[in-house]
Amino acid sequence: MGHQISRRTLLRTTSGIAVAGALGSALSACSGGTGAGSTSSDLTMIWWGSDDRHAAYKKALAAFQKKNSKIKIRETYSGYDGYFDKFNTNIAGGSAPDLLQMDTALVAQYARKGVLAPIDSYVGKSLDLTGFSKTLLAAGTVDGKLYGVPSGIGVNQLTVNRTGLEKLGLKLPDREWTWADLKKISQDVYKKSGGKIYGVDDGGGSTLQCFEVFAREKGETFFSDDGKKLGFTPATLQEWWEFWADMRKANASPPPAITSAAHNDLTKNAVVIGKALFSFDSGIYGAGGSITDAQLDFLPTPQGDWSGAREGNFVNGGVLLSATKASKKVADSVKIMSFFAQDETAIKDMQLLRGIPPTEKARNLIASGLTPTDKLNMENADYISQRVGKATNALPAPVPPPQGADQIWDLLFQSNLAVAFGKKSIKGQLGEFFDQASGILGG
Amino acid sequence: MTTAKTDEVVKEQPAPATPSDQRERDRMRRRLARRRGGGWWPYAFLAPWFIGLFGLTIYPMLDSLYLSFTDFDLLTPAQWVGMDNYNKMFTDDPVFWDSVHATLLYVVVSVPLKLALALGVAMLLNRDLKGIGLYRAAFYLPSLLGGAVAIAIVWRQVFGGDGLFNDFLAWFGIKGQDWISSPDTALYTLILLAVWQFGTPMVIFLAGLKQLPKDVYEAAAIDGATPITRFFKITLPLLTPIVFFNVVLQIIDAFKTFTPAFVISNGSGGPLNSTMLYSLYLYKKGFTDLQMGYASALAWVLFLVIAGFTAVNFIASRYWVHYDD
Repeated sequence: MGHQISRRTLLRTTSGIAVAGALGSALSACSGGTGAGSTSSDLTMIWWGSDDRHAAYKKALAAFQKKNSKIKIRETYSGYDGYFDKFNTNIAGGSAPDLLQMDTALVAQYARKGVLAPIDSYVGKSLDLTGFSKTLLAAGTVDGKLYGVPSGIGVNQLTVNRTGLEKLGLKLPDREWTWADLKKISQDVYKKSGGKIYGVDDGGGSTLQCFEVFAREKGETFFSDDGKKLGFTPATLQEWWEFWADMRKANASPPPAITSAAHNDLTKNAVVIGKALFSFDSGIYGAGGSITDAQLDFLPTPQGDWSGAREGNFVNGGVLLSATKASKKVADSVKIMSFFAQDETAIKDMQLLRGIPPTEKARNLIASGLTPTDKLNMENADYISQRVGKATNALPAPVPPPQGADQIWDLLFQSNLAVAFGKKSIKGQLGEFFDQASGILGG
Repeated sequence: MTTAKTDEVVKEQPAPATPSDQRERDRMRRRLARRRGGGWWPYAFLAPWFIGLFGLTIYPMLDSLYLSFTDFDLLTPAQWVGMDNYNKMFTDDPVFWDSVHATLLYVVVSVPLKLALALGVAMLLNRDLKGIGLYRAAFYLPSLLGGAVAIAIVWRQVFGGDGLFNDFLAWFGIKGQDWISSPDTALYTLILLAVWQFGTPMVIFLAGLKQLPKDVYEAAAIDGATPITRFFKITLPLLTPIVFFNVVLQIIDAFKTFTPAFVISNGSGGPLNSTMLYSLYLYKKGFTDLQMGYASALAWVLFLVIAGFTAVNFIASRYWVHYDD
């Protein structure tokens, strides 16, 4: 998709030689020096996304350069797959980009390692953050310093194939729905479709969009505040896995082979291939596939119905724009961040491609030009952020995830799969999960 | 081949040398060498190769050996941790053992199957048919394509839940499953892909078969030996050096397999680590989990294991490989 050499090609070039090749992959990064350093005086900017997002970024950057002809920007973009692998390699090789799109889930890790530049000193000068709420800026704030400008509001929501639902004569659930409602309607989907479609993709191993909300309903977090431990109890996870085991048994969720195939591959997502109507994966909107002609709709993560439920939803910051510490062009990078945050043309070019815009002004700017699906998406996000804002019993938004978080998420996914494939009992897997998780976080 | 080389050498020396002639010539040669400036310039021509050897192979290897004793996340300086990485690998890393299991299974199943197929096809192609060159090219083709990402993607489509393979099974009324995303079958799709790429050993086998003496077969035919007897009593024993060569090469190759596992599992090694081949795990640790020190340790263990397997192969070969002379 992008213009960059993928890690596949990188590895193919090192896998040719007999034994040395076995070491090649590990060595090529350590030796450094051979990578293409940023010798030109251009400002390099990288991002990941869909083709739509690439086009929008390019258009907005062209507008920026018209006004700032002195700053030359070299754009590099790709899909998410391999994006951070490449970034890591560039950092290690001394050829870091100046400006990058950053993941809210990883910003703390990179900030603490000293990769990102703190940008507090620019705020109110060249960086105009008027209209950004404090909770939103928290997504880019690590240990009290600002390391990135959030692109918009990110919420956890389900993507629903509304056309498919209506075809089966079913109604879109109310936004105040519960986990039990989810089970009920998913079973209805299976029955009404004659066993062809399961209701919701298996969320037992899905983290951010799903389990974290459930844990927060119980007053627990995913990670402890210091990031050195898990913030939830085995009992909570057990209850969770039992719910999904029950869902699979009731044909409310697809069998594990379908779940497994969708790992790291949105095009195989159960909703995309037409095997389910509800998905916890927020990435499928715009990912294409067989649902492009269906009308999509959006719902907040269900809540309640299980004892002790409180508001589990929360709002985070979409994606971020961050500058690297090694860069000599932080000031210029900040100008670009500010442009994306406030400039009218940039906001209109981006629409919802980086999340729901962060400021009231920006939301009003794009409101008239939205597609029907975009409109639904924004309405739902608005609803969730208002509900979270009003909730009196909600936990504060989660702290930025610690290093090793992505390994834990993967572990959760694999664990749920092991149970689903019948390779492990829930109790047995529970022990292994907590063992391995503490190994990852502790060491 | 060896005789041809000796011929050339003999031609360069016009007359049989007596001891004193020899001494005289040596003196001349030394004098000439000195006049040319001590003979350093050949090394200048070799310099690019030396730079490559030391800069791209020896130095990185030593560097990775050092890193294997450190905690190195690529982004901050490496911290010396002694044997920690190696200890953790063997005592406290279940995924490591998953990857060892997957890799050994992969090597043990794919290499013999691949070689058997290569030998079988080589025997079929070792005859004077019309258009035989075309057949040989056709059978070799998968190996040319084999390492490519594109083929791995094709494989993923063929063996996926709604893939060609299941369509094929459906003709016989068999309801297939998603072979790639079931932990019981995923690795076997990789093995099948490896076996399918039998072209390289096949070509080597073919070259070996061409060299087998015809008269032995004629004598055996006169004595009334069946094709099966001829294969086991003549072909196979005479071919053992070639078999040995292929075994060594294919085992090394199989241990290093990365691309198909990476592509077919979307880089995850899943489902349930069933396709987590060792190289893929090494890559994940280094570049995704940012544990380059640990990945370096993994690389050195792989290096030692491959060296070990190769050594065992060479020792065992004394007992089953027959050379002509």
